[in-house]
Amino acid sequence: MQNLIHNVTGQWQVSALSASETPHWQTDKTWQAGLPLCVTVDVEPEPVWQTASLIGIDFPAFTDGRGLSLATLIRRIGYKGDLRALGAIHEDVLHYMVRCGFTSFLLPEDCDPAVALACIAPYTEFYQGSVIQPAPLYQRRARG
Amino acid sequence: MYRYDDLDRQFLHERVAHYRAQTERYLNGQLSEDAFLQLRLRNGLYVQRLAPMLRVAVPYGTLAASQLRALSKIAREYDRGYGHLSTRQNVQFNWPELAEVPAILEALALVDMHAIQTSGSCIRNVTTDQFAAAAADEQVDPRPYCELLRQWSTAHPEFEWLPRKFKIAVTGSSNDRAAVEVHDVGLRVYRDQQDQVVFDVLAGGGLGRTPVIGHQICTALPIAELLTYMEALLRVYNRYGRRDNKYKARIKILVRAMGADAFASAVAEEWQHTRGGPATLLTTEIERIEKQFVMPTLHQHTDYSETLAQERFDNPDFSRWLTHNVTPHKVAGYACVTLSTKVIGVPPGDVSDQQMDAVADWADAYSQSEIRISHEQNFVLPHVAQCDLLALFKKTKAQALNTANVGLLTDMICCPGGDYCSLANAKSIPIAEAIQRQFGDYDYQHDLGELDINISGCMNACGHHHVGHIGILGVDKKGAEFYQISLGGHSGHSQRPASLGKILGPSFARDEVPNVMAQIFSTYLNQRHDEEDFLSCYERIGIAPFKETIYAKSDS
Ligand code: SF4
Repeated sequence: MQNLIHNVTGQWQVSALSASETPHWQTDKTWQAGLPLCVTVDVEPEPVWQTASLIGIDFPAFTDGRGLSLATLIRRIGYKGDLRALGAIHEDVLHYMVRCGFTSFLLPEDCDPAVALACIAPYTEFYQGSVIQPAPLYQRRARG
Repeated sequence: MYRYDDLDRQFLHERVAHYRAQTERYLNGQLSEDAFLQLRLRNGLYVQRLAPMLRVAVPYGTLAASQLRALSKIAREYDRGYGHLSTRQNVQFNWPELAEVPAILEALALVDMHAIQTSGSCIRNVTTDQFAAAAADEQVDPRPYCELLRQWSTAHPEFEWLPRKFKIAVTGSSNDRAAVEVHDVGLRVYRDQQDQVVFDVLAGGGLGRTPVIGHQICTALPIAELLTYMEALLRVYNRYGRRDNKYKARIKILVRAMGADAFASAVAEEWQHTRGGPATLLTTEIERIEKQFVMPTLHQHTDYSETLAQERFDNPDFSRWLTHNVTPHKVAGYACVTLSTKVIGVPPGDVSDQQMDAVADWADAYSQSEIRISHEQNFVLPHVAQCDLLALFKKTKAQALNTANVGLLTDMICCPGGDYCSLANAKSIPIAEAIQRQFGDYDYQHDLGELDINISGCMNACGHHHVGHIGILGVDKKGAEFYQISLGGHSGHSQRPASLGKILGPSFARDEVPNVMAQIFSTYLNQRHDEEDFLSCYERIGIAPFKETIYAKSDS
């Protein structure tokens, strides 16, 4: 049993995921349109991935920022579906991941889902724009 | 100076609360050592040999008097009554308790300061010319653009977990006091023929194990696109920089592996996507930031040079100080003053709480309440009226901040080395002290002229030894502390391009170093033509005569 944090109509929630609920992940070599795709952090994103039913990025270490750039690029090619972080992720990095376009997180076994949920949005505002809020802070500053 | 508004403060307070919660989780055993390490580094806390070290960010080396007083108070309350000016214009405290760090960060936040991203594999504090907005030779004040970069890089969602640390330096003067050629990214800001602010971008420079001079990869980048270009550049580095070996993870290795042209093309290609996008700077924002850095209106003073000449004549100590520590200001009747921290018996850059308070008072009295920290680890008062120089000079003595040695041999750059740093191969502070003791005589130093001696305790090169005219590097030779000496490095100031030093030969034991210095100096004094400075002389005669003098003797 693994815990999944996902965004359900604007609310972050934890769900326990049984083995039978694990997606039938395809690698970028075996993937076909409409199937769930799981990639490593070092791949080059393809525009055809837009049609995936789910995309997962597998982190080899929580300090590996390649997955954050890759998520940004996957959103740039127009993928609108669920983008999941899995592998060696850490609760204290989730808030960066959210801003790079991730919408779900498969938590490692040793991660307390309540703590992870509490870590997901520690800030009200950020200086720079991001995938989920492209306009930088100063544009809201100017209006306010 | 940049003034924080409610949004800046809100972010900072949330950041402190966030880190406080992380510290508590760690202390309760809910956060692993490995994970907490990464989080504390990004909040400035680094564990050294003896105790944790907290590195406080001094964005682009600029401090208000009130901020320096807050640092002094922290030194008193949480440290042993002193702080350390680092070679990246930051302030370090050597003895904070891990559990007290959130309280220190809270005290910093009260004066709009922080320690965010001063360690770890992320974009670090942006550094610049310590005389920004004041130097007579400056074209454009670089600080507004440093502030734009600071805001953009703070908690950037995509670039917080880079292959390795990432340092940006900006210069607005062709006399590059920020060493932009030896940074991960160096920016030269100037006005183009249409009077628009533009940047030349250098990438892939750096010191450390593999010292490299940066390559120019973009010319005349318009200010509006500064951040879209940086986004593209960081994305290329974040995706393709090596992560398998931390000694090969800096951007310079990527630039070298790809080739500078291919790297520039990769960035240019990515830039096609980001250019003109949401990170493009609006004119209103550029102006909002620039406006905050408009020079304080300096009271007009009549030319004071005649009186100054008289004061010089009456007071030889003052005269020396004017010669070495006082540099031209862009406004007539003003000057930039460097207060040297390099006195015998004090580790370079170490300053006491009393000295910090005194400098803050002098800044209030004489320098528009503004202070700078130079990468040579000195304090700078950027806007002092010439008619106040003598009064200021007289006060500096009681605080031992009156040494007339800026740019001279005893004004060394020196990393904390083996006395504090767990990565060190050898101590560096005792080397600095031994050299200061042996060659401290003013006339001798004055005769030697401009001389940069830079000392690092290991290959990480925090003491910038590669770009010292004379570089000293601590090495480990079968478990013993030895020192490798290099000649001819230069960081790029005084209108000369940067250069990397050449290794003289086999390394020396600690007690041999002062003697080797004496031989280097005497070789120079014997060989120089007229007014030729050390570096020009070295460039003309090469390393061979130095080698001959030094190793011939030790062989016999
Ligand atoms: S150069 Fe080495 S010894 Fe000196 S501070 Fe840096 S890491 Fe430590």
